[in-house]
Amino acid sequence: MSVTEADLEVPAERHTRTLDLVGTLARLILGLVLIVAGALKVTKPGASANAVHAYQVLPYDVGTYVGYALPIVEIIVGLLLVLGLFTRVAAVLGTLLMVVFITGIGQAWARGLTIDCGCFGGGGPVNANQTKYGLEIARDVGLALCGAWLVRRPASLAGLDRLWFGS
Amino acid sequence: MSKTPQKQGTSRQAKIQAAQKSGRSGANPIVIGTVVAIVAIIAVVAFVVLTAVNKNGGSSASGTALPPGASAMGKGLVADADVTLQPGAPTLDVYEDFQCPYCGDLEHGLGSTIESLAAQGKIRLAYHIMTFLDDNLGNDASVRAAEGAFCAAAGGKFLEYHNQVYSNQPTQEGAGWTDAQLATFASNAGLTGSALTTWKSCTAADTYAAYIASIEKQSSTDGVTGTPTVKLNGTDLAVLKTDSSGVTVMTPAELTAAVQAATKS
Repeated sequence: MSVTEADLEVPAERHTRTLDLVGTLARLILGLVLIVAGALKVTKPGASANAVHAYQVLPYDVGTYVGYALPIVEIIVGLLLVLGLFTRVAAVLGTLLMVVFITGIGQAWARGLTIDCGCFGGGGPVNANQTKYGLEIARDVGLALCGAWLVRRPASLAGLDRLWFGS
Repeated sequence: MSKTPQKQGTSRQAKIQAAQKSGRSGANPIVIGTVVAIVAIIAVVAFVVLTAVNKNGGSSASGTALPPGASAMGKGLVADADVTLQPGAPTLDVYEDFQCPYCGDLEHGLGSTIESLAAQGKIRLAYHIMTFLDDNLGNDASVRAAEGAFCAAAGGKFLEYHNQVYSNQPTQEGAGWTDAQLATFASNAGLTGSALTTWKSCTAADTYAAYIASIEKQSSTDGVTGTPTVKLNGTDLAVLKTDSSGVTVMTPAELTAAVQAATKS
């Protein structure tokens, strides 16, 4: 027999490591984008509320509180992902956020509103030729896929989950 | 995809578990509980602080008065309310924020036409003075200028004050105005002597804070989240046109024609 057990194990371990590495990348991409997006908005809660109002979905007062809360939620979920702590729960939340964003941008596009998504601050109405709905949705779909990967397979390298809980 | 690698990775898992054997059973619930509690506390504290800070940054809604020309909270201020409207005259709703540069463009291009149409009773002119740019620009100049305009309205000089503000918009959006500048606008608008004293105590008391907040809320609820927005009998009027060369304002002739077309004969 030319193939030993040790020879078989090396590629299998390498495969797991590769998948873990993909998980780490997914964590860092989604997590860092969420942290940056939240940090740019968290110091201007009123502007964040205005950006939410511009989507014209929620009642005014509800939109105001969503605008205040959203940057905080983004930062916390982003931190958990970067740290690799409660990865699956954080990934579920991050993916849900992206689905909500995609839906919000999509409905604005479909209704003919001309707004900036306000994803990284700013937001509100822009000129019709300055909308970037396609780009914004594509970016959020990519981020949602990062989240979906982690929901399905939360294991990754260099995360607190593995360090603390061995999972 | 998920099954095979996990099975094949068992020896590695075993190593990891072995390495953490001592820490696993005892630490888990405490660590999880502590981290969850810390995260929850941070979230709640951050939310409460942000909400409180933003409330203070905006007007604390001390005054609940309505300026003359406004029939209720959330309703625009009707300029030239004493002018008798011509039969079938349409309503022109103008939504603007004193700090908005395009509102300045609108004012310079069409302001005198709009005012003269209102003075002749050819339109019912309602100004909705919004203040959301304070939040976006991180200052309070829109609210202070709006307060100044409504206090000027109380002295019968709304349009004059309105024009003063737009003639003196800062070249840099967000620079705002000092209190002294706003007071100069009042005296230039024709409020002098005791009228100026009244204006000053009116602004100092935030007399129209609740009205200003109500306009912002009602406009946003009505779908107006950007300025300038102009509605003729409730329909959006494209007063600004954007193309590759930049922004151009509708001409006075075009506006007059649109108003005539909307006039019911």
